[in-house]
Amino acid sequence: MKPSAFEYVRPDTVDEAIDFLETYAGEARVLAGGQSLVPMLGMRLMRPAAVIDINRLTEELGQIEARGSETTIGALVRYTEAEGSPVIAERLPLLRTAIRHIGDRQVRNRGTLGGAVAQADPTGEVALVALTLGATIVARGPAGMRELPAAEFFVGSYANALDPQEMITALRFGVVPARCGFFERGRKHNDFALLSLAVAATPEPDGTWHDVRIGIGGMNQTPILARAAAARLEGQAWDDATLAEAAELALEGIDPPADVRASAEYRTHLLPIHLRRLLRGMGEDSYDG
Amino acid sequence: MDEAIEITVTVNGTVHREQVAPRMHVADFLRQHLGMTGTHVGCEQGVCGMCTVLLDGEAVKSCLMLAPQLDGHEVRTVESLAVDGELAPLQQAFKDAGGLQCGFCTPGFLMTATALGESGRTLDRAQIRDEISGVICRCTGYEGIVTAVDRVLNGEES
Repeated sequence: MKPSAFEYVRPDTVDEAIDFLETYAGEARVLAGGQSLVPMLGMRLMRPAAVIDINRLTEELGQIEARGSETTIGALVRYTEAEGSPVIAERLPLLRTAIRHIGDRQVRNRGTLGGAVAQADPTGEVALVALTLGATIVARGPAGMRELPAAEFFVGSYANALDPQEMITALRFGVVPARCGFFERGRKHNDFALLSLAVAATPEPDGTWHDVRIGIGGMNQTPILARAAAARLEGQAWDDATLAEAAELALEGIDPPADVRASAEYRTHLLPIHLRRLLRGMGEDSYDG
Repeated sequence: MDEAIEITVTVNGTVHREQVAPRMHVADFLRQHLGMTGTHVGCEQGVCGMCTVLLDGEAVKSCLMLAPQLDGHEVRTVESLAVDGELAPLQQAFKDAGGLQCGFCTPGFLMTATALGESGRTLDRAQIRDEISGVICRCTGYEGIVTAVDRVLNGEES
């Protein structure tokens, strides 16, 4: 578990970090929290020429900002900070709930939201929330700033749409639906999820639900949106029959992996059951998510 | 390529100036450069929690940090707990409650629990279990560990 040799550089500004990315011409990796990158270096799944440590860039990348309807989270904000942020508790409760399912205390003390998105883990909680809530990923590179919708950002298992000379600077969220739900099933806490679900929707006084969004993690190469299921629930009252139909529709488009953690059949079995339960829970008066 | 980096780091109150290889992780640095072998190395991939130390007061897995990242920071290891051979209250509680058998995981639990104690939070047993879930013990079944942490955090068992 020892990495191959690399150069270590530590920029003091984002501009300097991008200069390094350009200098190493795609052969460098950005080190943020390191909770995924460092093990991957140790396993030699990556052998970069250089590691660019951005941990000094807290002023530029470590802020959580609420401006009008937008909430912007700097790439270097750590999970523990997000967990304790009143802004995120108020404006992005789905993100706050999802973060509790990430790693353990030590991992959350170091891991960053930008790093989680860049990692593009198919079971990643932040990626799932970003996709479900339609977040924008803000990136910078030698050619300038780019804004990528989450729906275009995750292109495969551990693969994102960044140019090798770009880095994420922030995640930006707009207005999100009033109520949200998150569910995750793994073999044990801290393990990779077998299935994760993120739901956001707004209940109206007449009992119908609007702006329904459903995200599914762990089933495909990337997190996916369950569009057919969400469409079935849009503008409807969520009675049991409607929920059951939507839960079955969520199976459209899934391609669950079979691995040491679970069979594809088991993952497929879990999805409609837990989606239905999550949706039903969101509709209950006592729901506090 | 792979040129040594000079770092200045405070470990258990002592300032060290060292040359480190970029690819060396912090647990190896503590053990090999400073001879502090209380920090144990288990999986080296951030799963087992044996190597947990405090970085600027927060529990982190030292195998998931590169030694050059320590520059300008403060680290505390398990060696900081006992003073003049006298066990810290947390260590004494582990001893009293049977919070260890083989002892390999103990430094990881002690440092995780030290950060927890300093956070000032009030935690019940379920929350303690959640907070220490990043350290794995293969001997005890955790009851003694949770009891020890609970006693130190809450004065008595809740």
